[in-house]
Amino acid sequence: MKVLIVEDEKILADGIASHLGKDGFLTEVVYTYDDAAEKIHLYNYDCVIVDINLPDGIGFNLVEALRSIRSTAGIITISARNAVEDKIKSLDIGSDDYLTKPFHLSELNARVKSLLRRRNFDAANEIRFEEIRINFNARKIYVHDQEVLLSRKEYDLLMFFISNQDIALTKSAMAEHLWGDHIDSADSFDILYSHIKNLRKKLADKGCNDYIQSIYGIGYKFGKT
Amino acid sequence: MKLLARTNRYYIFFSIITYAIVAGSFYIVVEYLIYKEVDERLEVERRDFEHFLETHGYWDESCYFVEDKISLDAVGSDLSTAPSFHDTLMINRYSNELVPFREYRFINKMNNQSFRVSIRKSLIESNELLQFITIVMLVALSVGLLLLYWFQVRISKTIWQPFYDTLSKAKSFDVNEGQGLTLPTEDIHEFTELNSSLTKMTTKIADDYRNLREFTENASHEIQTPLALINSRVEELIQAKDLHDQSMQWIQDIHESTMRLSRLNQALLLLAKIENRQFHDKETVNVSSIINTKLSEMEEIFSHKGISVEHRTDQPFVISIHPALADVLVSNLLNNAVKHNLHSNGKLIIESKADSLVIANTGPGLTVPPHELFERFRKQNPASGSLGLGLAIVKKICSVYHLDIVYEMKGDQHSITIRT
Repeated sequence: MKVLIVEDEKILADGIASHLGKDGFLTEVVYTYDDAAEKIHLYNYDCVIVDINLPDGIGFNLVEALRSIRSTAGIITISARNAVEDKIKSLDIGSDDYLTKPFHLSELNARVKSLLRRRNFDAANEIRFEEIRINFNARKIYVHDQEVLLSRKEYDLLMFFISNQDIALTKSAMAEHLWGDHIDSADSFDILYSHIKNLRKKLADKGCNDYIQSIYGIGYKFGKT
Repeated sequence: MKLLARTNRYYIFFSIITYAIVAGSFYIVVEYLIYKEVDERLEVERRDFEHFLETHGYWDESCYFVEDKISLDAVGSDLSTAPSFHDTLMINRYSNELVPFREYRFINKMNNQSFRVSIRKSLIESNELLQFITIVMLVALSVGLLLLYWFQVRISKTIWQPFYDTLSKAKSFDVNEGQGLTLPTEDIHEFTELNSSLTKMTTKIADDYRNLREFTENASHEIQTPLALINSRVEELIQAKDLHDQSMQWIQDIHESTMRLSRLNQALLLLAKIENRQFHDKETVNVSSIINTKLSEMEEIFSHKGISVEHRTDQPFVISIHPALADVLVSNLLNNAVKHNLHSNGKLIIESKADSLVIANTGPGLTVPPHELFERFRKQNPASGSLGLGLAIVKKICSVYHLDIVYEMKGDQHSITIRT
């Protein structure tokens, strides 16, 4: 899976690249509009992450260029400005998703994966993690081929974990993923705890190992170790 | 009052005054001239009369038979009366009408007898002449004034046209379009000056506005970028396996604070943008249906906090507003009602009517006057994690869209009412 990252802030761009790299993505980073324009015409990417404000151009034009050459790449725009207007505009001109800075890298990771899943219709619409099988078109979870009935938020939570395996996830990243930033953090953490408790219990009931580890003070990590 | 109506009014007022003065003085002058002429004629006749007396030694009335032109009345020895002119009315012999006459009286001696001689002259022709002249003059003057008035109206309209063009352009000036007015050069110097100063002014306003906008957005962008950097680094950092619990806690604190700073920045930016009236597109928005959507999204929170929710929709509350701001308005109000609710058995009651929206919730008493909660950074509990901008944003949205908003408290019942 090839991902192009177009972001003028070097440290942030490299941070995104190394985070996505850990998940096995092949990442390429460009810091300017011109470089990005050249790359998208030369190579094919599965996903392009575009910052709207670039020193030598506007990210929107890259999105339009990608759409005009009928690129199959999924596009995620990121911006720190004009949150509402930029979001509407970028989705209008053909972005698949939009993130406002600052964002959690784990959130970006989850969005990229979800986007790639959605775009690859022909591929199997299933993900496997050990004894857990997820049919993401039907939004169904199976453990040892037995269906586990999860609530909407529990399903979203599990998908977030699956998208960010072996990565320490902060409570706020998880809460924001589930509810956006519209709810008070103290409340959202409480609800998050009870969702995690329920998720653990429902998975364990079907004989699933506990892959959710608590990290003191930070949050959780999902993985085999 | 309109400019043209005002100038027309002055014009008519002064025309009437001019008309009256000119007509009056003209009448007086003509009348004076006629009297002067008649009086001179009477004096000539006096000389004729005296000449007759000198020649003949007596007065023969039969010389004049057309009218009672000259009459003699015997008077005593009183000779003191000086010759004088009088206006008098006499009865016309034939038509039995009173006819105006000019009379010249003087004393004359004939055969040692003093007589008062009155020589009269009919004024009827002169009066007719006077009337005729006056009428002709007045008609001519009226026509002249009317023509002038008509010209004046036409000319004013033509002359002021550029002014009205400028005015209509100035009225339609919208600072959000990002540029000043472009106004043409006119034939009239003053209008050209007006246009050029308006052009300068509006360009300056548009530039200042754009600068302010850009500054706010750039500043916000410049703040968000380092925050994004810090966050990405913090996320990398917590992946490290060899960190001490204490260090983890510190990192978590840094993370929380950065997120808070970023939310603060976004809220302030939003506030500035509302204040700069950057959300200028309006749509008819059904606020009650947004509330229903939000309520279902927040269901989890309500059940978690044990808040019972009731939405009484008498009629949907519909306003004309930017849709994104309607969303912010509802979110902030509902979040506020949840955040400051009681810890157990809380209530949230929303009443939608055609012209008002009431969001009422139970909650602990206030330590600050209710209206102060609409101020920036004013919080009921200064130590709370909230930014203290939610209600300030609500208030700002309401004031931009001319909605009345009131915070009331009765017992443990807090209510915010928005009226159109």
